[in-house]
Amino acid sequence: MKTESRIPFYLAWKYLQRGNKWTLLLTVFLMAVAFVNLIFMSSLLNGIVDGSNKQIINTMTGNIYITPEDGNDDIPNHENVIKIIENTEGVEAASLETFVPASLEFNNHKGNWTILAIDPDKEKSVTTISQSMISGEYLETDDTDSIIIGRQIAGGEGVEQDAFSLKGAEVGDKVTLSMNGFKEDLTVKGIFNTKFINSDSQAFITNKTLSKIMPNYSSNPNIIIVKTKNGVVEPDVISQLKENKINENIYTWEEASGIMSSITESFLSINILISLVGVLIAAVTIFIIIYVDIINKRREIGILRAIGIKPYIIFTSYIIKAAAYSVGGVILGSAVFFGVLVPYFNLHPFALPICDAVLVLTKTDFIARAETIMWVAVISALIPSAAVTRSKILTAIFGK
Amino acid sequence: MDKKTILNIENISKTYRNEDIQVPALIDVSLAIEEGEFVMITGHNGSGKSTLLHQLGLLDMPDKGKIILNDRDVVSMDEGNRTKLRLKYLGYIFQEYALIAELTALENVMLPAMLIGNSCDARKKAVEIFRKVNLEKKVNRLPGQLSGGEQQKVAIARSLINDPVIIFADEPTANLDTTASVEVLDLFKKINEEGRTIVMITHEQEELKYASRLIKLSDGKIL
Repeated sequence: MKTESRIPFYLAWKYLQRGNKWTLLLTVFLMAVAFVNLIFMSSLLNGIVDGSNKQIINTMTGNIYITPEDGNDDIPNHENVIKIIENTEGVEAASLETFVPASLEFNNHKGNWTILAIDPDKEKSVTTISQSMISGEYLETDDTDSIIIGRQIAGGEGVEQDAFSLKGAEVGDKVTLSMNGFKEDLTVKGIFNTKFINSDSQAFITNKTLSKIMPNYSSNPNIIIVKTKNGVVEPDVISQLKENKINENIYTWEEASGIMSSITESFLSINILISLVGVLIAAVTIFIIIYVDIINKRREIGILRAIGIKPYIIFTSYIIKAAAYSVGGVILGSAVFFGVLVPYFNLHPFALPICDAVLVLTKTDFIARAETIMWVAVISALIPSAAVTRSKILTAIFGK
Repeated sequence: MDKKTILNIENISKTYRNEDIQVPALIDVSLAIEEGEFVMITGHNGSGKSTLLHQLGLLDMPDKGKIILNDRDVVSMDEGNRTKLRLKYLGYIFQEYALIAELTALENVMLPAMLIGNSCDARKKAVEIFRKVNLEKKVNRLPGQLSGGEQQKVAIARSLINDPVIIFADEPTANLDTTASVEVLDLFKKINEEGRTIVMITHEQEELKYASRLIKLSDGKIL
């Protein structure tokens, strides 16, 4: 029995070792194509979701977004609050922001955008806006007559929302900030491009600028954005903040991102649909390959049965062979994906209005899709090999 | 001394059906094969020779009648038990060699024995048989690297590996040249003289001299 149980492996190994090398290579190649097809779109959509999530965190909300307690317009005693937040375990940095309900005007082009007053040094430790300057410079704490604006506000050729922008404002230009009847001309110190359309529709001034324009308004900020340390789970930090008597409204970045969260959920749904289609295509491709392989071996299967080889041995040897094809396909597909496609897209990401998307494949997704290919291969081999090993011996040998 | 009947068929009939057409291939055929016989089955094309051999060799089952192998009725057995009988008691040689292309000559011969014993014993026994069929120098060649006659000798070696009670050969020389045919038939004769029972189909008149008994079929009946 011990020898008998090894015979399916023995036969499968001999088929692979001594069968037609080109057929083997072609089969493994087609398996690899099916596998790459299965993981490529999925990892691209994952990349878009991952990229847009990072954009939200790094350029808008931080990991945790804090707004005034219900009934309040601002965060009282904010200096104490931010100290508590900064000392909470898992928090890397926090920055106060004040929403400025103002409009901007340049060359008779006027519009309302999100304008935030910040402490530039603190903001740098939470967001990456300072690293996204495409023109000019980022703000400094002592600036009192400068503004930095996003690319979508500045406008110009190739800008998605140019129609609603300042139509080509550049560094050094004066833009007029209007708020509650006050007007102040500010110099555009820099233009930033985070490649996230929502972030690029923001403008920033320093707290000192706001104090200069409206001394009373800037006393209490109304937003705190918090950056957590790597590997820290946001809800855990939120629990600690609540324990530390932070009574403001505290949100995770997902809760604060609003419509973006719906968009990423839609992407995830599309991902599931595309994956199902990918599995179907892989199943059909693999089934055809293995079906043709087994049908070509029909006479040989008949002979094996005629000389007394039990059908399960023949059947199992073809299942093992199909599984080996799929393992080869997954290895080759992984080599192409991780060795060629991932590095290529890291160098040349897909430029989308919400992020530069690269290919992102989680370990779980990789294992799930590799397992899918293997199961599909096994099931594809199961049907024709069961049919041939169950057919009459003479039918298998002579086709009659 | 009476020889033992090892295979007995009683009133077997077989009809092939293709949609509405029915072609009777065997009609009430009875036959007993005794131990040590070299039986040759002859007859014109369509006479039922191959059908009879397939029934005798348990590759197909008759529509009616009995097949008794070593006192056991095989028609009423399930396919699993018939597979065991084919492995342990019967040997087959087909017209077109019927070797597994991916296995060497030695591996082709060892394969049926590996199902019964261990691979080490199977190898020893296979090497011994290769000596008997004068092919010991080509054991590691793949079927595609052997001549037709050599391939047929490998098929004969494979049929012998499990010490079968009967060897069935379906026109084993049909694809061979004269020299190779004579070699194969001489080998059959040698095997038969060692006590092995052989049932073979042939079209060739000059081969009939090797037989200890001739069975002539015509229109599905033994003449």
